[in-house]
Amino acid sequence: MTIMDITMRKEKIMQTNKYILGVYDNPDKIYSTTKKLINKGYKVDDVYSPFAIHGMDRLLGIKRSNLTVAAFLFAMTGLTLAVTFQVYVSKIDWPMIIGGKPNLHIPTYIPITFELSILFTAFGMVTCFFIVNRMFWGKNADIIDPRVTDDLFVVSIQVQENKTDVQALNQLLVENGALEVRERIKD
Amino acid sequence: MSYESPIRDQLVTGGKTYRDVTRDVTRPLENAPSKSWWIGFSISTLVLALWIGATTYTFLVGLGAWGLNKTVGWAFDITNFVFWVGIGHAGTLISAVLLLFRQKWRMSINRSAEAMTIFAVICAASFILSHMGRPWVAYWPIPLPNAFGTLWVNFNSPLVWDVFAISTYFSVSLVFWYIGLIPDIATVRDRAVSKARKFWYGFFAMGWNGSTKTWHRYEVISLILAGISTPLVLSVHSIVSMDFATSLVPGWHTTIFPPYFVAGAIFSGFGMVLTLLIIAREVMNYKDYITEAHLDAMTKIVMVTGTMVGMAYITEFFVAAYSGVEYEQYAFLNRAFGPYWWAYWTMMTCNLVAPQVFWFKWARTTPWFIFIMSIIVNIGMWFERFVIIVTSLHRDFLPSSWAMYTPTITEVSILIGSFGLFFFLYFLFCKFLPTINMAEVKSIIPTHHDDHGHNHAKGENHAN
Repeated sequence: MTIMDITMRKEKIMQTNKYILGVYDNPDKIYSTTKKLINKGYKVDDVYSPFAIHGMDRLLGIKRSNLTVAAFLFAMTGLTLAVTFQVYVSKIDWPMIIGGKPNLHIPTYIPITFELSILFTAFGMVTCFFIVNRMFWGKNADIIDPRVTDDLFVVSIQVQENKTDVQALNQLLVENGALEVRERIKD
Repeated sequence: MSYESPIRDQLVTGGKTYRDVTRDVTRPLENAPSKSWWIGFSISTLVLALWIGATTYTFLVGLGAWGLNKTVGWAFDITNFVFWVGIGHAGTLISAVLLLFRQKWRMSINRSAEAMTIFAVICAASFILSHMGRPWVAYWPIPLPNAFGTLWVNFNSPLVWDVFAISTYFSVSLVFWYIGLIPDIATVRDRAVSKARKFWYGFFAMGWNGSTKTWHRYEVISLILAGISTPLVLSVHSIVSMDFATSLVPGWHTTIFPPYFVAGAIFSGFGMVLTLLIIAREVMNYKDYITEAHLDAMTKIVMVTGTMVGMAYITEFFVAAYSGVEYEQYAFLNRAFGPYWWAYWTMMTCNLVAPQVFWFKWARTTPWFIFIMSIIVNIGMWFERFVIIVTSLHRDFLPSSWAMYTPTITEVSILIGSFGLFFFLYFLFCKFLPTINMAEVKSIIPTHHDDHGHNHAKGENHAN
């Protein structure tokens, strides 16, 4: 059996790359099931859903993303670059007198500074989002179930050698209204 | 997992399930286009051809092809530019501002509104290019070390601010729109049967798999994008208004311009959203998603912003009278009673008077009537820009140089043609991308607790 081979190869590690998937058709059911699974000490790897289930991230113990910090840093980068550039151009590199106005005039730099801060925030943060999610154009999606982007919800539980009682787990999933229970081997 | 009080009206009617949402929204993408799509698409392609022809003629001949003269140096081009930028404001307003205010009714209309924003800004940008007359030097407002030595742009100029504002607005709106599209593109990918569709939607879905980790980050960045887009929307039209307000022309030189332009932009943007969505809900049969409650909410915004704009018109008059500046006073009297009086009163009627019908519930919930009103709103807003620009310029400081402005056929063709460009892009969008945000709509429909697909009485299936 392939699973046996894999577990034998990695006998020192408790984790296996075998996962049990429970397929549900209802966000409330999958939420309560996941809660039960976590309380019983199963290792819930992830929950897949067609839309964000509120509270699920906290339930799975996902820490608040640092993308907010990244956004702030990018905003500051944009702001600094915009101010430096405008001051350099109009005061240092080639001062011009236009209509007798001062060539270092901070208030008129505000619109461009504001716009560039926003531009840097948006692009920087979204780029970081793609990097942390390992998303890129043309990526072959690791689709756990094609219906997960349609109307089904899937909870994936990692099987831990000598710890996870697969039989009991299957029963728990079915008892809580799973439509299907399947195994998945991750390469 | 959200609790919705049973006494609230449902945002999506017809007892839709998650699967129904997917089917309804992907139907136009997965089937051959309908007859009405082909008719609409063909007409807009023809009108687009008019735009290409008229713009090409302008580029070949130069700005002499237009009705501009030495007194009125800005007219149709900038009117159309401000008009289209204004229309481009509802999309980001709906998705960003309403997201911050947690208005869930935005969810079934934000996708098309954002698409509209992007296409409207493309139309606006085309007028920036064509009003330069020499589009091959369009890169000059960008601060580049250039062939003239290290001569830079003048950062004191609002026209330079505008370049930054419009390009930032366009690119950030595009990013916001695309981020919102990714989960839905993944839905289309996972349903795809043909190889080409699987490849292309798979390509742009970026490997989306719907895991909670991804959704968590996705929600975080959506919120921040909304947070930064809100001041961005407000800033863009404020900066557009500064193109006028920072000048010394009577009628332009007023501090009320930024808020007044922003209110006008939201007003015209919602007008255009209503025009498009009323057609879309008929043609694509989305009446359960874009319900009368949506129309009701949007028409209320139209009424409020229309009244704000009307208030600004009256304030301008008051300030002109109160300031004691004769030139300012003359500019406003000339607007209302001068040779362009008809444009002024068209604007007043369409923008201030007409939207007052939305005090009545019947007017807010009757689609055909709202459709007519939405067109009236946009006519009014186009005339607002025409009034501001042309009437302020045509009688300037020296009576000897007073002149009248009449558009040429080329200019009118470019304006009509720009609608062709807009609808051409919009029809392509309706064919190739999901026009309703499926992921968000699924999150607001009530959870169905029965496994047999029956619909309970309203309210019963809300809990949890």
